[in-house]
Amino acid sequence: MKMHNKDMIKSSWADQVEDQSEKTTLPQPKVEQHGNSKIITEYRWNKDDKKEKVVRTYKIERRLVSKTIAERKTWPKFGDSRNDKPGPNTSTTIPAEEIQMQFMSGKDGDKVEENPLDKLKNVNMNIKCRNCGGEHWSFSCHLKGTGLVIEDKKLVPEKVIEPEKNTSTNRPYIPPSAREGATNTAGKRDPYGRGYDEVPAIRIENLSESTSEADLSELVSKFGQVARIFLASNKITGACKGYAFVNFKAKVDAERAIKGLHGYGYDHLILNVGWSTNNYNKTSY
Amino acid sequence: MKPLMLQGHERAITQIKYNREGDLLFSSAKDVTPNVWYSLNGERLGTYNGHTGAVWCIDVDWKTTKFLSGAADNTLRLWDVATGVEIGNISSNSAVRTCSFSYSADLASYSTDQAMKQECEIFVVDARDDESFKSSAPILKMAVPDSKVTSLIWGTLDHTIITGHEDGAITQWDLRTGKSIESVKDHQGSINDMQKNRQGTMFVTASKDNTAKLFDVDDLSVHKVYVTERPVNSASLSPIYDHVVLGGGQEAMDVTTTAAQAGKFDARFFHVIFEEEFARVKGHFGPINSLAFHPDGESFSTGGEDGFIRVQSFDPSYKDFRFDY
Repeated sequence: MKMHNKDMIKSSWADQVEDQSEKTTLPQPKVEQHGNSKIITEYRWNKDDKKEKVVRTYKIERRLVSKTIAERKTWPKFGDSRNDKPGPNTSTTIPAEEIQMQFMSGKDGDKVEENPLDKLKNVNMNIKCRNCGGEHWSFSCHLKGTGLVIEDKKLVPEKVIEPEKNTSTNRPYIPPSAREGATNTAGKRDPYGRGYDEVPAIRIENLSESTSEADLSELVSKFGQVARIFLASNKITGACKGYAFVNFKAKVDAERAIKGLHGYGYDHLILNVGWSTNNYNKTSY
Repeated sequence: MKPLMLQGHERAITQIKYNREGDLLFSSAKDVTPNVWYSLNGERLGTYNGHTGAVWCIDVDWKTTKFLSGAADNTLRLWDVATGVEIGNISSNSAVRTCSFSYSADLASYSTDQAMKQECEIFVVDARDDESFKSSAPILKMAVPDSKVTSLIWGTLDHTIITGHEDGAITQWDLRTGKSIESVKDHQGSINDMQKNRQGTMFVTASKDNTAKLFDVDDLSVHKVYVTERPVNSASLSPIYDHVVLGGGQEAMDVTTTAAQAGKFDARFFHVIFEEEFARVKGHFGPINSLAFHPDGESFSTGGEDGFIRVQSFDPSYKDFRFDY
């Protein structure tokens, strides 16, 4: 009985295939030519001793060139390339990924380098520095790294020079559209007249570090059309900082998203979702 | 565009150069073998084996018969382009930093580094044949006491040599007297590269002071300034459009100590006249050390600190692009 079993195993089709592959030699490389393209099929062993088929497609171009260039094309290869076959050697010539030339629109070429946090500034949020209470992010505080922390509000210098602010006072930020003299046609309900402020952002907290913007959009798009997603991520490593803001196009969708996602287990964490603006519709949640 | 990546060097690229027709692309790196490639398909034609130090500079003559390379092994070598055979070798007392054929390639000039007690010198040698090249007595020798030469080109009708220096100065040398005619200091940092336009009337400099400038070949007056926020290592003028491409990036030594902000290693296209940037091409993951337009203006190549050479052919969108003004 045992013997029989052994024979059975030996004659299993899987073994046969393996045996064969060890014994056989590589098929001859094949060159096919169809009109303007040449297809070279080669076989080789990879590092696991498996057969690999390499198919390369070349485009053949005919060009009219001057005699000198044509003559140079016939030169034999020399130096380290003397053993190379005609045509590009794959170890030295690699076709790179397709790239696009990026054209600058407008006059300002530096617009490309935009700080993602600048976008947040436009959202109606109260930005407050933990160090000095000024209206900037704590990491861009002028006192950062100096070891000075101002405990008494009176000690805050009146005229702080902020590199990113034009006004030197501590008034809350007013977007240009809402300033005096600005023509505001967006109705009285929303003093800021911004598209996505009409439906406030929802804030999603307790996201895991590995969350990407694509993951998030997959998660929230179930609830309706999304106008904008902001995922706070580390500038250098790209890892998620644990929170995100999502603007829906319709308020109903935003409410549904809050109801649906609050307390929802995502990755290994429980999400905490609410309205992002502290002065808007707090009663609804 | 779908670039070709040429991987023939083990270390940072120092210079790349097309021949006159643009069918061949020569490259050198901080390893010991300059390479030559067919620019159309990226096929490597050969390597020039013989140097024992980093190759700093290369040049090829008008007829693509002779190839010149200068290296940190204190030699300047002359090669047969077609076979890679060394046909001349001049030793110097310090590393050869720059080399250049005159237009006719009857003469060649090169400069050596400042080292220990050795001061920087510019030499002019006869490059007509092996014998004259080997006879090692230079036709002309000019000492540069103050700041070493970092780039060198020939002036109009091979009457002058123009050198860019480490302190940002640009000097014009008269070959008849062996003295400097004119010297201007419009740059604050080392001049890493100088390339003439197709007509040979102007040249564009690339400087460590984050700018590239367009100079007149004859009177060294500044015409245009192209400002970036990173050191510029190389700049090249388009032979067919009013475009100049700048390559650079953070200095190699600073790359590891500063945040890796993407997009600083792009090739940046400026309009020559309006001095404004209009396009960028990404690709390298280190600073671009040398770049060149193909002589037909349809493609360009960049060589980076990452050791790769990228040959990029322009898309129709580049040719259709009209600068807004």
